[in-house]
Amino acid sequence: MSGFDFNGLTASFDGERVIGPLSFRINEGEHVGLVGKSGAGKSTLIRLLYDRLDGKASLVPQGLGLVNALPVFHNVFMGQLDQHGTWYNTLTLIRPFRRDKDAIRALLTELGIPEKLWIPAAALSGGQRQRVAIARALYRQAPTLLADEPISALDGPMAQQVMTMLTNQFTTSIVALHDVEMALAHCTRIIGIQDGQIALDQPASELTAADISVLY
Amino acid sequence: MFAYPTVRASFIFLAVALLGLLVADIAITTANPWQDLGRFFLGVATPNFFSTEGLLTALLRTVAFAFVGVTLGSICGFLLALVYRFLPVRIFCAFIRAIHELFWALIFLQFFGFHPLTGVLAIAIPYAGIFAKVYSEILEEADPEPGRLLPPGTSSIAAFLYARIPDCWVQMRTYTAYRLECGLRSSAILGFVGLPTLGFYLESSFSQGLYSDAGAMLILFYVLIATMPLWLRPKLLPVYVLAAPFFLGDGLPIVWGNVERFFTEDIIPSPIRDGEGLAAIWAWLSDVLITEALPGIWNTVVLTQIALVATGILSLLAFPLISNHFGGPVRRTSGHVFLVIARSTPEYILAYILLQLWGPSMLPAVVALALHNGGIIGHLIGRQTNTIHLRPDAPVGFSRYSWELVPRIYRSFLAFLFYRWEIIMRETAILGILGIYTLGFYVDSAIQNIQFDRAMVLILITALLNIGVDALGRFIRRKLALQTMPTC
Amino acid sequence: MAISNLRKWLATGLLSLAAATTVQADTFVFTAIPDEDETKLVERFRGVADYLQEQLDVEVRYIPVKSYAAAVSAFRNNQVQLAWFGGLSGVQARRLVPGSEAIAQGVEDEAFETYFIANTSTGIQPADSLDELEDELRGKTFTFGSKGSTSGRLMPEFYIRDVFNEAPDSLFSRVGFSGNHTRTLRLVEAGTYEVGALNFQVWEKELENGNIDTDAVQVIWRTPTYPDYQWTIRGDVDERFGDGFKQKMTEALLNLDDPALLESFPRSGFIPASNDDYEPIRATAENIGILD
Repeated sequence: MSGFDFNGLTASFDGERVIGPLSFRINEGEHVGLVGKSGAGKSTLIRLLYDRLDGKASLVPQGLGLVNALPVFHNVFMGQLDQHGTWYNTLTLIRPFRRDKDAIRALLTELGIPEKLWIPAAALSGGQRQRVAIARALYRQAPTLLADEPISALDGPMAQQVMTMLTNQFTTSIVALHDVEMALAHCTRIIGIQDGQIALDQPASELTAADISVLY
Repeated sequence: MFAYPTVRASFIFLAVALLGLLVADIAITTANPWQDLGRFFLGVATPNFFSTEGLLTALLRTVAFAFVGVTLGSICGFLLALVYRFLPVRIFCAFIRAIHELFWALIFLQFFGFHPLTGVLAIAIPYAGIFAKVYSEILEEADPEPGRLLPPGTSSIAAFLYARIPDCWVQMRTYTAYRLECGLRSSAILGFVGLPTLGFYLESSFSQGLYSDAGAMLILFYVLIATMPLWLRPKLLPVYVLAAPFFLGDGLPIVWGNVERFFTEDIIPSPIRDGEGLAAIWAWLSDVLITEALPGIWNTVVLTQIALVATGILSLLAFPLISNHFGGPVRRTSGHVFLVIARSTPEYILAYILLQLWGPSMLPAVVALALHNGGIIGHLIGRQTNTIHLRPDAPVGFSRYSWELVPRIYRSFLAFLFYRWEIIMRETAILGILGIYTLGFYVDSAIQNIQFDRAMVLILITALLNIGVDALGRFIRRKLALQTMPTC
Repeated sequence: MAISNLRKWLATGLLSLAAATTVQADTFVFTAIPDEDETKLVERFRGVADYLQEQLDVEVRYIPVKSYAAAVSAFRNNQVQLAWFGGLSGVQARRLVPGSEAIAQGVEDEAFETYFIANTSTGIQPADSLDELEDELRGKTFTFGSKGSTSGRLMPEFYIRDVFNEAPDSLFSRVGFSGNHTRTLRLVEAGTYEVGALNFQVWEKELENGNIDTDAVQVIWRTPTYPDYQWTIRGDVDERFGDGFKQKMTEALLNLDDPALLESFPRSGFIPASNDDYEPIRATAENIGILD
């Protein structure tokens, strides 16, 4: 069964080791929830994993990485820039094709913001921006997802719906979450990070919220 | 207070300028300078808009040259900005922008003559160098994250268009519009060397003492610049850019043989051209260096340092004119008008006017440079003070100025000042054409004597001097940790 | 939208480049050194252009330039085919354009003079020879005309160097270049400069027209005579405008007898000239280093 082996992951800031060295394996089909208190190194780990995968995964970083001056449509479309030729992409900047418009509008409808299609990203609220970044990750249709707190600015029902969408569409996912309940509900495996090391690694079904709270 | 590096730096520059004043040639040599000044202001107050039949045409040409030159410069500058990380490109850009528009015009006049291309290239070339630098700075500051998130295999063009350009677009547009305003000024002064723009008629009217005619031209020019936000609409821009080339005038046809001759004969140092051997070349070069370059450099540096400090002092005096923290709306409005006029008038024209009125010395040049550049910096930091919120019980009057505002804006003030150091030096050199003994004087003399080889050596020296000051200015700004935005 | 604007910019920019190189029909173009007030020059030479057009049956256009060097360059670059040069600018131009010829000069140009003038506040009295004025001139401010002028720069500088054996900027406290003769007159009259040197014809004409405040400025010395202004034509005009064109042009200039036009120069008439007439000017220019 295919999957990813991550060996000897390390990261340092100003000469101080913040991650690792740590190694683990992610199997295809697993949905991993990364938990741990803030500053434990989750974001750094997500970034490391993205680099290890040579960018061959959809990423939702904490900063979202939206192009503020571009409308929502183009921010989402950027997920598939590799699928088209340069001319197609350039024309799309000026006048998008119907096919792409329909696809992206459908995606936004599922995320509850279809009316924002032509609004520049700069003019959106935090929650809306987060959904645009998620839409971009979904639109990219990579098999693997790396996401760093993708639902931090979403309210309850929407957060549930987004997590469901993410775990449904991506074969494999690694999602950093501070909401333990959410992690237990949507992930199949939980990895707990403490001081840059793996402090916990078990199937979600074997854990309760209390087991995880020792990390905080 | 001397513990602050910024204060120490200020006093060092002040001391250098004071030393400069000791050796500088500062005088009013006219018998009746105030009478002439009075006549000039009377002329501005009683403008005669119908004196020259060519006035409207000249205005149109001024706009046309500015549009074509700036458009061409911004396109080339943009392309250069894409490869700006390569050292040779950076050196090339520093070099082409170190040579003033008027020098470029004087060079092109020698082989393109009075063809529109002379004026277009004279603006486009140095502007391309400036655009390259500023565009690349803007592009570098764009958020790199969206680019990192793109799927692998995205073409670099698409990545650039989607992840880089959109975030820089507004800043680039603002800067380009600002440059267009500069382009109008550059275009106007090209008339002083014979191109059919406003300066052509301005020079004639002035030299003949027709102050009402000159006043009318200046007023039209201010109106043109002040109303830019009204007529410079993004939607109309393509129309302007398309139409501009057709309003450059015919000029005279280019004879291409002249171009070849210029590069293969005219600018080759005469001893090489005549095959006189190494000793003769050395003698020729040392003659140029000792009798022209050295005095030129000395005067240029002295004048630059005095003008720089005068600019600083004037900026600090002028910014309260438009600051919300002082005076009522009436005074602020008149302050705005004063600063708009000061910064809209090209220093070359200001210097020309003052030279006519006060007679030849460095004084008119210092005042002209200080008025123009002080107007710009005063405007920028005055605007900046309007974003400062003082506590309700803050002192008023001079104490407010000296305790509350100056300390807060001093760093950005210095940043602007050092940023403009190189610009002031470029202008100082060019003012020599008006008869002040800076490098421009010797360049102009060499051209008047049809010695283009000498002129080229002197222009190269001027360019190197500018590059040196630019580097020094950047070094000082880095040392003092001063930051500045490029739209200055 | 932002990007579409950018693309429009790019497209229009390229078009403008293509449009900037238009060429026009074959017109005979001439110029003149800007030695006097421009309004006067334009008036004078438009008259000449009309006259020549009538006589020669080609389209004739006058273009004003801003400096002596620009006139020489335009002539050298074949953008103008004929020019009214001063002695020095003519020598420069003919050296640069082999085959070009001086074809006519004013009657007065055979024996031209430079006047040294002084503001009366200096108290300098007219003298017959320059060396008598040494004490009075030393330390004064002084203006030439244009850097490339014969009567406004070359000859006065030559006599200053010759008589006092030193450079102008060591004799005078300040040396300037006013740009043209009218301006020299105005600057000395106003006291901007104490002493100046100018074309004697400009002085005489302004005096006659009542444009000089003789209480403020007076002539203090006159140079010996020398050859000055002339019409110089390119050698290749026959090829371009037809055989015998140069000859016809010469005759047209020599036959110019419209009193109003002549008065505007001011010359009483035009007489034949040759390159050799200006040999003394060349020698003087080389002597003081203006020519290599």
